[in-house]
Amino acid sequence: MTTAQQHNQQEASDVTQQNVTLSEPAPPAADRRWRPTPLAVGLTIVALAVIPFAVTTHRFLTWDNARAILASAAFVGITAIGATVVMIAGSAVSMATSQTATIVAMAFLATQQLGLPLAILLALACGVAITALQGLAIGYWDANPIVLTIAAGFAIAGFATWFSAGMPVYGKNDDYEVLNHTPLGIPISVYVMVGLALVVEWFLRRTIAGRQTYLVGENRRAARAAGLPVGRVTLIAWAILGLCVATTAIFLGSFHTLANYQTGGTLTLDAVAAVLVGGTAITGGRGSALRTLGGTILISVISDILLIRGYSTGAQMLVKGLLVLAVVIVVNVPSRRASR
Amino acid sequence: MSGSTDTSTRGVTPRVEVDHLTRSFGGVPAVRDASFAVAPGEIHGLCGHNGAGKSTVVKMLSGQLPPDGGRILLDGEPVDMNSRQAAQRRGIALVDQELSVVPELTVLENLLLGDIDAPLVNRRREAKARCRQLLDDIGLTNVRPGQLLSSLSIGERQLVEIAKALGQRARLVILDEPTATLAHAESERVFDAVRRVAATGCSVIFVSHRLAEVLALCDVVTVLRDGVSVATTPSDELTVDQLIVQMLGETPHRLEPGRPVDRSQQHALEIRHLEVPGVVEDFSLTAHAGRIHAIAGQVGSGASEVLRALGGLIPRATGAVELRGSAVPFRDPLRTAASGVAFVSNDRKSEGLFLDQTIAENLLATRLPAVGRMGILQAGAERRAARSLAELSRLPEARLGHTVASLSGGNQQKVFVGRCLGRDDVHVLLLDEPTRGVDIGGRAAIHALLRQAADAGMVVMFASTELDELLDLGDVIVTMRDGRVVNRYEGGTDGAQLMRDMTGGEVAA
Repeated sequence: MTTAQQHNQQEASDVTQQNVTLSEPAPPAADRRWRPTPLAVGLTIVALAVIPFAVTTHRFLTWDNARAILASAAFVGITAIGATVVMIAGSAVSMATSQTATIVAMAFLATQQLGLPLAILLALACGVAITALQGLAIGYWDANPIVLTIAAGFAIAGFATWFSAGMPVYGKNDDYEVLNHTPLGIPISVYVMVGLALVVEWFLRRTIAGRQTYLVGENRRAARAAGLPVGRVTLIAWAILGLCVATTAIFLGSFHTLANYQTGGTLTLDAVAAVLVGGTAITGGRGSALRTLGGTILISVISDILLIRGYSTGAQMLVKGLLVLAVVIVVNVPSRRASR
Repeated sequence: MSGSTDTSTRGVTPRVEVDHLTRSFGGVPAVRDASFAVAPGEIHGLCGHNGAGKSTVVKMLSGQLPPDGGRILLDGEPVDMNSRQAAQRRGIALVDQELSVVPELTVLENLLLGDIDAPLVNRRREAKARCRQLLDDIGLTNVRPGQLLSSLSIGERQLVEIAKALGQRARLVILDEPTATLAHAESERVFDAVRRVAATGCSVIFVSHRLAEVLALCDVVTVLRDGVSVATTPSDELTVDQLIVQMLGETPHRLEPGRPVDRSQQHALEIRHLEVPGVVEDFSLTAHAGRIHAIAGQVGSGASEVLRALGGLIPRATGAVELRGSAVPFRDPLRTAASGVAFVSNDRKSEGLFLDQTIAENLLATRLPAVGRMGILQAGAERRAARSLAELSRLPEARLGHTVASLSGGNQQKVFVGRCLGRDDVHVLLLDEPTRGVDIGGRAAIHALLRQAADAGMVVMFASTELDELLDLGDVIVTMRDGRVVNRYEGGTDGAQLMRDMTGGEVAA
């Protein structure tokens, strides 16, 4: 019976505790969970682990190397910023990113004779149109984003192969070379990446459509029931992704001076990795363009160290994969618990 | 048929005896003292108003909740069950709203799931014969063992679930609101099956809101009130009215005479012939601004669906809805919201709030265009709007930056309701179960908010099953049952009358 008594006693104390909280008008602010904690802790650990390697790596701490890191981050980074918006909007990821970049790069080079400004505009329009069309189906008809974009990816790749007849596409002139310039020693693509991150961050935080992106991403059903423009918000998110992918594609085409079926490369998964390492929740409703920028650069730094130290491509991919895995676990496991 | 209606029979050991069960949740007692006994082969009704403790008793009987005190005796032996599986092994089967049958499998496969007599390697023919037998026992003669479960109606699926329980050699079958979502003809089949089950000597506990059904089907009825079993009576000595008195006690539940209507706000929501196929039949109502309209109905009565349809969430709904003389496009939530209708779902977690966002963001979620210019948010306007809304909905301003997930259920609901308040562009406020899962204090606060909204000139309409809430808040009360309107009251009614309407007692002409 003693256990029962203890039990009762414990219960009684539970009751009093509860009464205390009930009578208290505003529970203390301390009970609010400081959200970035798990991510911040995780990334701090990664950074601390990276620093000794970085410092002891010969030629890591040089201006040239820093530029190389930024330059290698830019192509993936620009796309990842767009992918962040789509992920926040709750549409997970686009599996057609590489293919879209390929076809846009081809379109960009093939229209060079119209003059560079027009070629850029056409390329951007092409990227936005292709991607927004998918966003339309996802936003208005509730198509599954993964399945839809896998299908779209095949179709786009098929079209690219047919369009180029399997041959590399070259520009009629090399006006695009201007995009490879490096003002102040830094490639234009890096300026564009940073500028886009700032603009998209502002869009997400300070515009109506941006704020609605978080709401729709966090709880689509609730957003629908509240009469929020779920379809339109989703469409805008995908259009932004299209714009970003097209921008990457323009730089890719200019950099390689040609576009073939391999131009898109592993852009799809690289961009997703950057977004995830930046701490955006795959389930939507949480994330930031600036954090994605951080994630992109972190991946780039780690790849760079491994490269300088002479590790194989396989080892680089392995480390990248483990990093993504670790961040996804840190970010998404607590968020699952919170939304229970 | 099963004549053992006298529970106090000394010679017969009851099949199951519930002996002074108690259970509380976080200090709040849900069941304070429940005692009753069910004889072998008896159909035992369990009735009680919302919150009386029925479902807690059922959960304790089926092993889903351990009791705090008291005993459960099965055939005279005290049993201690710590899971639904443990209860199943002892022969207690629960059939509830959440069916545990698998639609993608055949009837035969479903019956074999969890069948303790099934050999490890199945002999197909034997299994089929056994399945046929079980189906026939329950009156499902038209169903083939090879049929996919998804091809059956909901009622038939429930029967399969009962057959499954029999296949597991159940000694006691508990049916928790089995007919709430069933049409009349389907209910009759379930009752036939229940009678057949009882005839084999298996005991049945039947939990239902439909009192007429309970009296027709059960041998004995136990009524729970405020967690206490107040009476166990043979059903042939009971009428629906007596049952209602047992359920409500002697506390007077009366509706005050209708409040005077402010004639200056005469605009109204005209609902004409609203239909949702199979759920709501011909619902018409003129709802005036400044008044609170309560729709009273149990689960499956269509009350909730009326509001969901008006909120634009049921695209197959038909009928005509007019607000201030212009038609409300009520089949698309986006357009419904644009025409001034705000809907507060009964499921605030998955269809209401954005739990991971802050309180301020939730309060502003539906009015972002009002705090922005040219699509860009104005920080100052945003802050002011959030503050005034917090004040309006009586939320502590200091917590505006906290996530909604960190709030109590009552405060979460305040955020949900507050989101729709203080807006010039909302004329109609629809709330489905506005105080579900909200404590007493929060409840009063939300009721005050609704009254405030009505006084501000909104058409307020809510659905509820709680008599106190209906009577306290409703200026106009519409009762519903089986998708149809039963009665409409403006004052001059009481809890017993509403209960009669909702549960299927004699309808006063």
